[in-house]
Amino acid sequence: MAEQIKPYDSKLQAGALLLPTFAVLIAFLYYPSIETFRLSLYETLFLGQQQQWIGIQNFIDLATSSTYQNSFTISLLFAAIVVVGTILISLFIGYMLFEVSVGTSTYLVAAIWPYALPPAVAAILLNFLMHPNLGIFTHYLELLTPWTLDWFNNGTQAFLLLAIVAIWKQLGYNIIFIVAALNNIPETLTESAKLDGVGRLKMLFKVYVPLISPTMVFLVVMNTIYSFFATFPLVDLMTSGGPSEATNLLIFKLYRDAFEFSNLGYASAQSVVLFLLVAVLMYVQIRISEGYAQYGA
Amino acid sequence: MATETEPAIQADAPTLRQRLPENLFVHTGIVFSIFAMAAPLLLALVMSTQSTTEVYQVTNLGIGSEGLSNYKTALTDFNFATYLWNSLIMSIIIVIGKVGLSLLAALALVYYDLPFERGVFMFILLTLLLPVPVRIVPLFQLMADLSWTNTMLALTGPYIASATAVFLFRQQFMSIPSSLVETAKLDGVGPLQFLFRVLIPMSKGMIAGVCVITYIYSWNQFLWPLVAVTEQSSQVVQVGIRYIQGSAQAGLTQWGLIMAGAVIALLPPLVVLIALHRPLLQTFAIQQK
Repeated sequence: MAEQIKPYDSKLQAGALLLPTFAVLIAFLYYPSIETFRLSLYETLFLGQQQQWIGIQNFIDLATSSTYQNSFTISLLFAAIVVVGTILISLFIGYMLFEVSVGTSTYLVAAIWPYALPPAVAAILLNFLMHPNLGIFTHYLELLTPWTLDWFNNGTQAFLLLAIVAIWKQLGYNIIFIVAALNNIPETLTESAKLDGVGRLKMLFKVYVPLISPTMVFLVVMNTIYSFFATFPLVDLMTSGGPSEATNLLIFKLYRDAFEFSNLGYASAQSVVLFLLVAVLMYVQIRISEGYAQYGA
Repeated sequence: MATETEPAIQADAPTLRQRLPENLFVHTGIVFSIFAMAAPLLLALVMSTQSTTEVYQVTNLGIGSEGLSNYKTALTDFNFATYLWNSLIMSIIIVIGKVGLSLLAALALVYYDLPFERGVFMFILLTLLLPVPVRIVPLFQLMADLSWTNTMLALTGPYIASATAVFLFRQQFMSIPSSLVETAKLDGVGPLQFLFRVLIPMSKGMIAGVCVITYIYSWNQFLWPLVAVTEQSSQVVQVGIRYIQGSAQAGLTQWGLIMAGAVIALLPPLVVLIALHRPLLQTFAIQQK
């Protein structure tokens, strides 16, 4: 890359331009994050008015708490289902959109709109449509299948329903990136396979998916972060963590321990665990995309 | 959808006709998928017009007797007008603040001879590791210490700086031809003039894209407003959904009313997405590179 021309050199001006961003980042991102680490080593009483140093006791409590172990396990399982489900469905829809070159714009907007769907709205719609007694989806599902829907009491059903809502909301974002990635593949790379008459499905998984694997990695990371962090409204509005802890995802447990039970030190320790999860995911993303960039160059 | 009329105006009609039988299958698949994704929304739209009695007739899919009166009730009796207004103000402040601050920071990063440029950039980028749940407890305490709880400052302050926006504007600025920068340098154009006369006009698409992404993102926030705001009159519409679900549940749940509330909370970001999908898609395409 050509050397960037730098027409200005006043350090004072540069500082002034960066100051607002730095002020916000330090006050509202760095400072509270460091506080999270500090608080995680304290036991807090009276809404944090009284703090007592307890070292890593909060983390020991977390590691030995069966509630937290449950939250951790189901959050991982939830992320796995949401990531795989979202990517598979988005791949099929994105591939179909890519295959037809007409009406693309209308189709595309009709397929990506869930990107704008607020998670709280997604939750409330399915709360009603899948309501065990009143839901129209429930009615026809029970009519057409041997199942009985009772997700107010059945933990597995509640868990799967949350996953379906989470997948639905995330489809738009994934389709955007998959269609863009497919459109970026040079035709020369796929021509010979097409001429050989490879079937559509085989074409998708054997030819296209390997070619867009950097996008796949990016989406796996983004969807994992989404399923850990952005699913709070789903749990809060649909199941409140129940029945019997079956949907008590990490983010919901954190919220409850902090703001319902005012256990601020213990909640901060949970924030630290979430930070470690994000850090690992971002690291994987950066390492893998760097790897691709090197091979691509 | 008007898509079936479009092949007629395509220039390459013959090849299209050759491919038609095969693609008809794909078109069917697309229409089915789109319909499946939209079904919950379409059903909610219908049921938002129904009275509670009609809702309780589960398979009743007719337009209900309430017409738009559920919407009116949600907006007035259930304060959705206030929530909408709060959401709008919050989103606009975050969009303007984030875009403004990030343009200034990107200007400094790209066009100033900065010491520790890489370090400064990394300091901004590393905040990607710090989503709200990682710092929510101290952030909540900070708002209480500043007496910002229940104010617009609490809703917007933590969101008006952004690593992603700085990153995108930096990429955009670096792609601006150096001849333009040379000219500006020779003419002795000041930095702010350079920003407003050259950089912003040349980055319109990117700025529009970041505005759309930020607007949708802010509008859909739920957890932080729930924590930072406890007074109903200062609350945003996403949390308003939580209130309406809670209060409409006395006796027979007024699901028609709740659906109306949900539709109200969805429309603003949906309209923005449909109207401005082009800059949004272009910006995402750059973000991923």
